[in-house]
Amino acid sequence: MTQRNVWIVPCSGIGKTYGSVARESAFIVTEDLRPDKTRIMALSRLVPDDSDVRPDIRQADSITIDGCKLACAAKVVAETGGNVAYALQVLDVYRAHRELRPAGIAELNEGGKRLAAVLAEKVAALVDSMEEKHDA
Amino acid sequence: MADDTTHLELTVDKFTFRFPRDLHYSEAGLWMRQEGSLVRLGLSDFAQQRNGDIAFANLVPAGTTLNFGDEVASIETVKVDISLPSPVKGIILEVNSAIQEAPELINQDPYGRGWIAFVQPEGLERPLFGVLDAEAYVALVREQAETELKS
Repeated sequence: MTQRNVWIVPCSGIGKTYGSVARESAFIVTEDLRPDKTRIMALSRLVPDDSDVRPDIRQADSITIDGCKLACAAKVVAETGGNVAYALQVLDVYRAHRELRPAGIAELNEGGKRLAAVLAEKVAALVDSMEEKHDA
Repeated sequence: MADDTTHLELTVDKFTFRFPRDLHYSEAGLWMRQEGSLVRLGLSDFAQQRNGDIAFANLVPAGTTLNFGDEVASIETVKVDISLPSPVKGIILEVNSAIQEAPELINQDPYGRGWIAFVQPEGLERPLFGVLDAEAYVALVREQAETELKS
């Protein structure tokens, strides 16, 4: 992880549709859209006091993707010393794309998959803008 | 149950709910505030927390005549779709258009900026149907919340 890479930290809520959308979008960004600029961080790895990845999260900016207003991803990253460059909420993206109503948990419905794709594009654009600012 | 002069407060497990004493409540989770000869409606703190973040609020337009139980609004949350039955018979004078643009106001400020509709009730002597005062509603909420925790 270099200074110019970006951590993508999605919601860890298991059994929640919006959490699944958050994770799916994070995978799309880190595996398909911007694999050379981003890495995913499992939120649960940051939680233990003796976490071996807390030093890593402080090495680069993070984009958090939360599934609900509790905003665990944004809070945990901030509380463990990371820098939350952008804190996104799945619900905010859904409100702008009402036709993409998510459902399902282990397997998202078509709306959920498309919503994750839209969200991933948004995250990828933010990653690009962060890089541009860094280069400027 | 904690309380002060203006609110009752109920904590169940990790959740705390607040209920203004001066309001009445329907079993479906709507609150009612009598303002002169009019009644303002909204969603109770318990109902908004129970149903989760609200994605969209659909309001029945001003001018609509309501009978008891007619839908006054419907909401889509991250968990469920809910139709909210009116506890008031009368005419909708005004709806809160702000919650159509920002439905999260219902979650953030259910008894204030998140109000839903303002109604001219028909017949002031008994404009409300099947409503509970704050203490009775808290007892109902406690029962519902504890039942859900056990399930």
